[in-house]
Amino acid sequence: MAKTKRIALAQLTSCWGCDQALIDIHLKLLDILPLLDIVYWPAVVDYKLHDLEALPNKSVHIGLVEGSCRTNEDLHLLKVMREKSKILVAWGSCSAYGGVQGLANQWDLKELLDRKFMKVETITDGRIPEENVPGFLERIVPNPDIVPIDLVLPGCPPTSENTLEALVALLENKPYDLPDKTVCDQCPMERKEKRIKRFRRTHEGKIDPTKCLLDQGYLCLGFATIGLCGAQCPSKATPCKGCFGPPPSVKDHGAKIISAIGAIADMTPEELKAAFPDPIGSFYFTDYASSYLSKIGNQKKRREK
Amino acid sequence: MSSVTPKSTGVQKSKKQPTKKKQFEPRILAFCCNWCSYAGADLAGTSRMQMPPNVRIIRVNCTGRIDVSFILDALYQGADGVLISGCHPGDCHYTSGNLKMKARFALLQSLLEQAGIEPERVHLQWASAAEGDVFRDGVTKMVERIKMIGPNPARGEK
Repeated sequence: MAKTKRIALAQLTSCWGCDQALIDIHLKLLDILPLLDIVYWPAVVDYKLHDLEALPNKSVHIGLVEGSCRTNEDLHLLKVMREKSKILVAWGSCSAYGGVQGLANQWDLKELLDRKFMKVETITDGRIPEENVPGFLERIVPNPDIVPIDLVLPGCPPTSENTLEALVALLENKPYDLPDKTVCDQCPMERKEKRIKRFRRTHEGKIDPTKCLLDQGYLCLGFATIGLCGAQCPSKATPCKGCFGPPPSVKDHGAKIISAIGAIADMTPEELKAAFPDPIGSFYFTDYASSYLSKIGNQKKRREK
Repeated sequence: MSSVTPKSTGVQKSKKQPTKKKQFEPRILAFCCNWCSYAGADLAGTSRMQMPPNVRIIRVNCTGRIDVSFILDALYQGADGVLISGCHPGDCHYTSGNLKMKARFALLQSLLEQAGIEPERVHLQWASAAEGDVFRDGVTKMVERIKMIGPNPARGEK
């Protein structure tokens, strides 16, 4: 491992939390930084888009793309990254599944712009910015559906260990596969036979920090979520929101969650409907854009045109 | 698909002439459980009960085996409606599979509604092995309902 590898990190629409998680690798950065030659990382180093565009094609060994495409500029950057990188990694849930912003696919772009720029409570005489800005895309589509992606590393953000592990594997030319385990497999809480009579919000009642949260009636999505995070939230008595997305064998996260809830809930259909007033928000926290429902919406839009 | 008696061809012919290909013919996917509804559908067929030929049946061992993603995948691939037919509550061969489907169905309906897809496109009914007529009525009503709603927006040009 003497040779350094060129690495580019690009940020599309996202919170840039993945970068922070990467820097949280902390002292271990000293082990891997000498092996890396950073050629593009606007979050940390002052690079501009033309610096990346000037590189020869396929000259970057590892490209990490974080965030999803909300603007035309995001789309352009993603395509440039694909051109320049040998291995392109969809880094984080936004990149892999569309992220939280994918929830916007429930509405038309027009409605979204109207709500964001015209009808905000704190704004009088609003306007939609049109000058010197790249312009919005109609819908959020997960990056793997736009360009071919070589490695998907979900997470919101992927933990420092996840990113380190994947980077080390790529640097050593070893395969890196996502586990088919769930968060429950990593969770230390005590589990029993599940028969849920009532679902509670997190602030209702007192959570017993030793027992399974789902058994206690809190919607913990660990059973349908990929086990990469080490059960960070449930082991601290906080219900899993499913931010890492489903295990690789599951095609639709929310559908799997509904199927599982149907099997363990001892409730009438009316009670169930009342317990989940916002099913998309509850079951597709970071991956609505990659769900069947959102894809049906995409096709609907295409047909309308 | 089904055997057509001379009588029904006569009726269909007169219907066909004015609108011919224009009329929307829904494509409906039906999941039938092996122990009740599939036998019920079989009974409806062997008793020569008349029903619209728009339904394609997939047999599953139990409605409890139906993952919500099967239904969403069917809608994504262009099915205009999905009919789920199982044993009456209490009659399930595996004691409670149909009740699990019932709970899933409730959540699926509110999910579809929130996503802007007509929840009526997915329907759950109970039909035992002896109720060929219930199955026939269920299919007839389903086809009528889908014809009212119109084609699935995700459906490709075909």
